[in-house]
Amino acid sequence: MSKENNKRFLQEGKYVMMGNVAMSEGALAAGLEFFGGYPITPSTEVIEHLAKRMPEVGGVCMQMEDELASINAIMGASLVGAKSMTATSGPGFSLMVETISMAACLEIPFVFCDVQRNGPGTGFVTEPHHNDLGLMRFAGNGEFGVIALAPMNCQELFDLTITAFNFAETYRCPVFIISDAYLGHLHEAINIPPKEEIMKKVIPRELPDNFDNKFTYLDPTTNKYITPKAPIMGTDYVPIMFLHQPHNPNGMSSRRLALPFTQMLIDKIKLNMDKISLTEEYKLEDAEIVIISYGLPVRTSYRAVDIARKEGIKVGIFRLITVWPFPDEKVKKVVKDAKAVIVPELNYTGIIAEQVERVTKLETPIIRIPKVCDFHHPNDILEKIREVVK
Amino acid sequence: MSGLPPMYPSEKPEHPYLSISMPGKYFNSYFSLFCAGCGYGIIGHLFNRVFEDEKLDPKLYPMVIGIGCYGQILLTLHHATQRILALHGRAPGLATGMKMANPKMKPIIFSGDGDCLGIGGNHFMHICRRNLDCIIFIFNNSIYAMTGGQGAPTTLFGAMSTTTPYKMFENRVDGIKLALTAGATYVARTTVAHPRTLMKYFRKALKHKGTSVIEVITPCVTYFGRKNLDNLGAENLGLEGQKMENTGIMIDWIKRNSIRINQAKFMTEEELLNKYIIGEFKIDPNKPEYSEEYAKIKKIAMEGK
Repeated sequence: MSKENNKRFLQEGKYVMMGNVAMSEGALAAGLEFFGGYPITPSTEVIEHLAKRMPEVGGVCMQMEDELASINAIMGASLVGAKSMTATSGPGFSLMVETISMAACLEIPFVFCDVQRNGPGTGFVTEPHHNDLGLMRFAGNGEFGVIALAPMNCQELFDLTITAFNFAETYRCPVFIISDAYLGHLHEAINIPPKEEIMKKVIPRELPDNFDNKFTYLDPTTNKYITPKAPIMGTDYVPIMFLHQPHNPNGMSSRRLALPFTQMLIDKIKLNMDKISLTEEYKLEDAEIVIISYGLPVRTSYRAVDIARKEGIKVGIFRLITVWPFPDEKVKKVVKDAKAVIVPELNYTGIIAEQVERVTKLETPIIRIPKVCDFHHPNDILEKIREVVK
Repeated sequence: MSGLPPMYPSEKPEHPYLSISMPGKYFNSYFSLFCAGCGYGIIGHLFNRVFEDEKLDPKLYPMVIGIGCYGQILLTLHHATQRILALHGRAPGLATGMKMANPKMKPIIFSGDGDCLGIGGNHFMHICRRNLDCIIFIFNNSIYAMTGGQGAPTTLFGAMSTTTPYKMFENRVDGIKLALTAGATYVARTTVAHPRTLMKYFRKALKHKGTSVIEVITPCVTYFGRKNLDNLGAENLGLEGQKMENTGIMIDWIKRNSIRINQAKFMTEEELLNKYIIGEFKIDPNKPEYSEEYAKIKKIAMEGK
């Protein structure tokens, strides 16, 4: 659509970048063509940076009148074939859920960066609080699958944003990037890979090779629902109409299709867990105590584990990069022989701890380490590890 | 205008405007979901006429349809149109994204009084402010008809509705005044009782570059007409009213209530209460259009100052 030029990719090399800026650059590298946003602390740097960068690469960055309009605008842009994204924080997210539900129904791909801040209400706007995870999982009315990725440093904010765009193109469901006020404002060194390397990874938005002027959700051979490439308005590759109701392969709605349609929205994520679910393990081979975490607390946990290992305590980290869908099977395997599971999280309830509880069926003791508007100190985690050993 | 010949056959079928509708094309039956006496059938029909006569390329005129009774108009529309049902009130936002991502397009927004002036008032105001190249139809039946006849921001003073069972006492919003203030560059109001004017305004809006707002007054017999008398707003004149139970009375009432813009200049505000001023309010082809302005910004940014 827009003319590609050299400005889209930064020159290969090392940069010191703010988290929000790294995320924006990652999006640009992934082929972002439309950004619609509304300024909200702590995500403002994204729209500020893209307002300058988007016109340079032939894209569009619009500051809309509110969050409702921004997410509808990126949905409209995505419908006509532009890769699009928005960035916001808690209160803005609350406004956007209505449209997320609609986008999930129409299977419109876009990426949604949530730079979380303290809540409820306005909260402390520059402090981190991983309190939107539940909202991400159950955003909007209706049942549908979502994907949420949790980077833990600026490099990953760059890399995982590209992955998020690829997931959005492939599975056509809402894809979230879980950032927070500290991570978004963190300045770190990041490595920008050469242009060719990035280009190889990116899945472009384009018309499929042969579609016979027809858009359908049905696989002609197996007669089952599939997730084809996203339709593009303004071409022949569109359903008869876009209805945000359970619809048949041509786009016409029908009550009888409600069950298979809902099933399709959820199964397209469930059946591809092996490709979607990204996790990392650290010194887990012989671990008796397992730390399960995501995002910033993982970085603290590395330090705590290294110290504990020196003391002879067998402890390891299981890191969730893909938080939603929750990797049930993997977690089950990891906690099978564990004496205890420690879940350091930047919230009080322990949204992920609850998921671990669900998977382990409360057979393994689960220790939460809640922090709100603050970091974990390695000692916080070490204390708990030592307590378990005693 | 590529690939048009098969879409627009040179030989017209028996009834020229039936077969181009969506159910006609795909189901070979010509149904609509509107109540008896509804105005949306007329609007859909007139739209199809213009669409067919002007030989519009459906790929360049995406239809963005809001939530309301007129949502069912998408069955009546030309089968080749590319249409999307937007969320309640968010159609301008959706259209903004479409237009900006593909500036060749000119989105046509169908929205109602509740959709555009109630829940989506903010988005409507800002799309007018930006002067984004699109056409906004506001179908004003002065009631929330889809949900069963609740009071709308445009409900006439003194009218009955299910949420104003005694009488409507709120002041109504004037979509045209709002559009003018916000900065839309083509603003007109007409009614379904003036179909030729509606087609004329639509054709003008298609040629206009910038936000075009066309408000169309349309009757709702089922939820508005049956509850109200046709002397609404003129009770003090001593006229005896009758229930607007059928389209004839209702269309008649709309005609009587429509005042031409040049006549309205000589009337007092009291006289204009519950009246609709019809006509063209503004044409301004010189105001810069948003997507063109953004293209200039792109050029500056790409060349590096």
